[in-house]
Amino acid sequence: MVSSEFAIADTCFLIDWARYRDILFKVFNVVFIPETVLREVKSEGTITWIASRLTENKLALYTEVENEVEEARRLVEISRRIPHTLPIDLPEAICLIVGRVRGYVVLTENKGAIMISEVINEYRDVAVWRALEVLLTAHLTGVLNIDCSDPLKHFMEYQEDTLHIFPRRDITGVRNLIESRCR
Amino acid sequence: MRVDVDESRLRKWLEEAEEARRIRKAMANWEFIEKQVPRVREALKYYIETGDIRRASVLAGMDIEDFRELLRRANIPVVV
Repeated sequence: MVSSEFAIADTCFLIDWARYRDILFKVFNVVFIPETVLREVKSEGTITWIASRLTENKLALYTEVENEVEEARRLVEISRRIPHTLPIDLPEAICLIVGRVRGYVVLTENKGAIMISEVINEYRDVAVWRALEVLLTAHLTGVLNIDCSDPLKHFMEYQEDTLHIFPRRDITGVRNLIESRCR
Repeated sequence: MRVDVDESRLRKWLEEAEEARRIRKAMANWEFIEKQVPRVREALKYYIETGDIRRASVLAGMDIEDFRELLRRANIPVVV
């Protein structure tokens, strides 16, 4: 897994990333926030953080153009047409479109968006990262120090702070990768 | 319009979605949930069933950030 220059984040990712937010800018040069996503952020703490990082050019506003919004709406419709899929909405659909067209890493905790990238072949090449992949990359690139006596320390902290649960299979894979760096 | 779907991966995802629903249901603080006003209570139950925070927050009449905080108070995890 390599770090990318640009990422684009959806609402839930930004909200839940409180403790580790600035690690993002050691993994990515710039994280874009679509205007559609920004409109969903309401709390003073998150707005203050976004405003200060916009000032520092670590975050950047992504203004969606008409054809991206139209394509995103098409993707929302597709997600609702496939039986039993987890539906997505416009903000995460825009992130997926930008990921596909511009090659940005899509940062999301939305299971529907993650599923689209695995299930719909047109989106298979889009890099969709959860907090898990960002934390793993931060470990593998030296942004976070690896504690060989407790290789999952930061992952467990993240889960406890945010009340997230990563699938056991994924956590096992992460442990194996990090432990291989300790040998 | 034809959509090119990977059916085997879709089956895997549906199994994971069911497992996530089971985890949310098992971990939730049901006493807390049942004490909420009907609109919020039903929104929390909807989230447990679907994992869909955007629609759940609309049902609750809250913005996503406030609803996310409510999920923490109700001990309902985000399974990703």
